[in-house]
Amino acid sequence: MKPILDVKGLTRIHGKSCDGCLAATGPKVGGNQCPHCGSIVACADVSFQLMEGEILGIIGESGSGKSTVIRLLYMLDQALAGGALLHGGEESAIDLMALNRAQARQLRDRHMGIVHQNPRLGLNYQISAGGNIAERLLMSGNRRYHDIRRIASELLVRTEVPVSRMDDFPGTFSGGMQQRVQIAKALSTRPRLLLLDEVTTGLDLSVQARILDLILELQRELGISMIVVTHDLGVIRLLASRTLVMKTGRIVESGLTDQVLQDPQHAYTQQLVASAL
Amino acid sequence: MNTAKRKIPFGFIDDQAKREIRRSILKAIAIPGYQTPYSSREMPMARGFGTGGLQLTLSLVGRQDVVKVIDQGSDDSVNAVNIRQFVQDVCEGVQTTLRTQEASLIQTRHRIPEVPLREDQVLVFQVPYPDSLVIVESNEATRKCMHGEGDYSRLLVKLYEDMVHFKKITLSHRYPTQIHTHYVIDPSPIPRYDVPRLHQAPNLFLFGAGREKKIYAVPPYTEARPLVLDDIPFEVEDFTHPETGDRYCCEVCGSDRSFLEEFKQADGGSVWQCSDTDFCASMLEAAEAAEGVI
Repeated sequence: MKPILDVKGLTRIHGKSCDGCLAATGPKVGGNQCPHCGSIVACADVSFQLMEGEILGIIGESGSGKSTVIRLLYMLDQALAGGALLHGGEESAIDLMALNRAQARQLRDRHMGIVHQNPRLGLNYQISAGGNIAERLLMSGNRRYHDIRRIASELLVRTEVPVSRMDDFPGTFSGGMQQRVQIAKALSTRPRLLLLDEVTTGLDLSVQARILDLILELQRELGISMIVVTHDLGVIRLLASRTLVMKTGRIVESGLTDQVLQDPQHAYTQQLVASAL
Repeated sequence: MNTAKRKIPFGFIDDQAKREIRRSILKAIAIPGYQTPYSSREMPMARGFGTGGLQLTLSLVGRQDVVKVIDQGSDDSVNAVNIRQFVQDVCEGVQTTLRTQEASLIQTRHRIPEVPLREDQVLVFQVPYPDSLVIVESNEATRKCMHGEGDYSRLLVKLYEDMVHFKKITLSHRYPTQIHTHYVIDPSPIPRYDVPRLHQAPNLFLFGAGREKKIYAVPPYTEARPLVLDDIPFEVEDFTHPETGDRYCCEVCGSDRSFLEEFKQADGGSVWQCSDTDFCASMLEAAEAAEGVI
């Protein structure tokens, strides 16, 4: 298997940051605020590889830096240090952290997709569900109205949203349907990398199960590489083959999901697994 | 107004301000379609009544110039008459005209003259809203980034939504137009009928937004394409009878190739008339001359 994403030493610090920030924070110290300068270390020295067609899980309590990693990889924030090489395609590997705004937007529109926990972040409620999918297609350069209609309806069928609701506004949809529209939107440009940020949090159990089924199906059929961020161990167990455990901005443990959950090594992971079971 | 007594400088605006406006004009021409900020001065009329266009006109006008002012195609409406009068008062020796062909500097509100302009003519627009992205994004900082990156997908989504909900594009005026393959401008509220006239025109188009403090330009022989979805062609007003399909003619001059305005009559019917009054008048004169020959 070839890696699609190579992340090395990803660091983001909120505040002015000093030389002692990294040493004075972290899981050993038990905090992420630097005592010297007061900066918050959102994530530090995060390194991992994502293989082609793999689903990688990132788990951790809130404030552990999971979403920061996702935001950095989706180029919504600037990293202080570190790099993330995206492989694949015809071009040579691209360092996501070294792109300017326009390049980042282009790459995002063509090769990456994101599904947020809250569909309000990922969808525009002023335009129809079809329009939301159209927006992404238009961003990636497809300007043919009839093409867009066809692709959008195919995607809605794929994600089990009734096509008859295609021209309705997302605000009139149930939470699960909104999440499906968001997934359809993310998939519309056939991305190489899909980032899922707490996609099932806040949905009821039966809807959760169907969304997770959908994600697994998509991974199997389209072979999309995904990073799944969650604090739900069940989701991780079902989706991810490998898992990273994060605490106070650092990766404290990583390995095969079963191994991490069955035989946790780090004290925090043990506590996490124990509290869930 | 007694200009001598009150020592109003030629062109009303002081030289310092004129220089600043001219610099902005040069920048606007150098970057076609880019909204150049400038410090819009107070004018002796309220913002929103054409102060942007007037400042451009006053900083460009010289003694040899012949100025024409149009308001919705007409030379005779209050706005046009007042601005023309003002230019006459503050620019000693400058000629004004109603004739498009005679003018070297034309200030217009919401129309482009029917007669094609020449290389030696400049058309100045009064612009209420300079940014076409304002209908999809309210934050100006974000809009600037979108312009910089050439990200106009959300305007295209607006077209998509129009097609979905109304089966046609509902933008009747201020149609977003892409200049020189990058910046999309709001061409001021000209009807769609006038948009193709911006494309590869021999004359310079200048746009001045007084309230929003922006100047932008479409230089001569520059590409200007209305923003469209690839398989939904851009359409202009065609003035045809909905049932018979015949094109309406101007009630006054009989023209069937100009932009028409509809006037509702007391009996419920309509009368159509040229919006460009100068074009209408010259059509009439030509017809009378032809009759005279016969």
